[in-house]
Amino acid sequence: MIQIENLRKQYGKMEALKGLSLEIGKGQVFGFVGPNGAGKSTTMLILATLLEPTSGKAYVGGFDVVKQPREVRKLIGYMPDFFGVYDNVTADEYLDFYASNYDIPAAERREIIPKLLELVSLSHKRDAYVDSLSRGMKQRLGLARSLVHNPEVLILDEPASGLDPRARIELREILKELREMGKTILISSHILPELAEMCDVIGVIEGGEMVATGSVEEINARMQGQKLLKLRLLDRWDEAARLLRQMPLLTSVTREGNTLVAGFTGTDDEQVELLQRLVEAGLPLASFGEAEGNLEEIFLEITKGVGS
Amino acid sequence: MNLVRQMRNPVLLNELKVRMRSNRSALIISLYLLVLGGIAFAFIYLRTGWNQRFDPNGTRDIFLFLSVLQLAMICMFTPGLTSGVISGERERQTLSVLLTTNLTATKLIIGKWLSSLSFMTYLVLASLPLYAVVVLFGGVSPLQLIEVFALYLITMLGIGSVGVLSSTIFKRTGVSTVVTYALLFAYTAGTFMAAEFIRMVIERQRSLAGITAAAQPFPMWPDLLMSLNPLAAILRVFEVGPLPQTVSRTPAGNVVPLPMDPYWIYFAFFAVLAAVAIILAIYLIKPVRPRLGRR
Repeated sequence: MIQIENLRKQYGKMEALKGLSLEIGKGQVFGFVGPNGAGKSTTMLILATLLEPTSGKAYVGGFDVVKQPREVRKLIGYMPDFFGVYDNVTADEYLDFYASNYDIPAAERREIIPKLLELVSLSHKRDAYVDSLSRGMKQRLGLARSLVHNPEVLILDEPASGLDPRARIELREILKELREMGKTILISSHILPELAEMCDVIGVIEGGEMVATGSVEEINARMQGQKLLKLRLLDRWDEAARLLRQMPLLTSVTREGNTLVAGFTGTDDEQVELLQRLVEAGLPLASFGEAEGNLEEIFLEITKGVGS
Repeated sequence: MNLVRQMRNPVLLNELKVRMRSNRSALIISLYLLVLGGIAFAFIYLRTGWNQRFDPNGTRDIFLFLSVLQLAMICMFTPGLTSGVISGERERQTLSVLLTTNLTATKLIIGKWLSSLSFMTYLVLASLPLYAVVVLFGGVSPLQLIEVFALYLITMLGIGSVGVLSSTIFKRTGVSTVVTYALLFAYTAGTFMAAEFIRMVIERQRSLAGITAAAQPFPMWPDLLMSLNPLAAILRVFEVGPLPQTVSRTPAGNVVPLPMDPYWIYFAFFAVLAAVAIILAIYLIKPVRPRLGRR
């Protein structure tokens, strides 16, 4: 559904994208992860027909984003990382205005808008002025706005930025629903770890280059077989950390509250051996286990040193 | 039906709805008419006092005074109303979203241009009954009334289009507004001063060369330049100001006649200016601009 081939974008001497390539299939949810300035928004702006690439090609639904922007716009619903709303319009009027920009007839608009407001749980705010809505509500309204023409592709740039935990959870639920509706979604977010379960594929971008793409599991496997072990102790954390640091198979040891997190490169047998040594040392070990490789850790691991 | 849908401009309709429903709009219109009516009555009072009958010959002066006053108001407020229409959308972070919809750049620019002028047009049209009363007294023809209002309209469209273009070029509304006002000031003062300067230079050269008006008619360039000045154009409707003697339909005999009535020169110039500025704005607002040879 989305195809990017060797995409480059240069702003003066600064190269924001350095030959980015990726492919997103129909109905896939692609999570775009990377630090600020990595090139996520630039890629999304190009796909949304708002920015011309310096070189390379990008297609949405087979249409060239530079040569056929009008066709592309019919297929996409774009939500930028920051967007404003108009004063003096209600949520209903806001959506009606955008729907009319897609030439949707008035009768059809009257049917669509309540459904969209229901999808984003804003039915009760239909007649409320947009500028009176909370940030989370505005984000949800923005999402409803990007759906007014029932697009096949959603390009969501940091949709959860600035939202409180409750609003993030609500947004995640809506995105799950959209995924079930078969939408192709390209989403970037710094809370991608929370969205890991709904992303089919993630792409890690750093310094304008795609440094890793694949499923969460695939990328996890690339971490050179390293596991993260979590050890919760009731006491004697410093002593435990000292002991762990002396062991050759442990690459790093950090303390998070009453838990020690250690990078381990050994086999399962060696892991059993490690646990036995800790027990033999008489440490007050309350729990011992492997940390689930979440996207945040994967991201930090993959991007460390890249671009520096 | 399809044509009606194609002609429909959502930006224009939305802006009209939002702008016109506020209480503030009604208040501004009421105040504006009160002020304008007050000025007209004050003018009558100053000329005749309360106890004397008003001399209908004085209506022409009131009409002229009100017309120039409204033109000044148009020149003063139009840049402010139009120079933020696109940069404002950009600052409010609503432009990028609008540009990803099916809305064409043409509809967006024209919608913003006309909607920003709609309130001013409404104010001017609301003052029409006041003018009509003046016309009833005599001294001014209905044609002059139409000419004045047509001149208002084309002036608004012309200045407004420059405001919209400036707003498209400059990212910040502040810069766009300053540039539009500066251009307008340079234009109005510039056309007047340049016309007078050229006239003086030609007169000086002719006097040094000993050329008389009878031997060689005076060139039309100063008058042509003066025809582009809004104040000279409106004064021309009442056949006063710097232009009446040079009108082609009443040639004085010693000046090369202009190719057409200065009123229409002004009209044509502003129509072309508006068209060029709007076409340029439409081209510039496109995030990915079409290039020759790209298919």
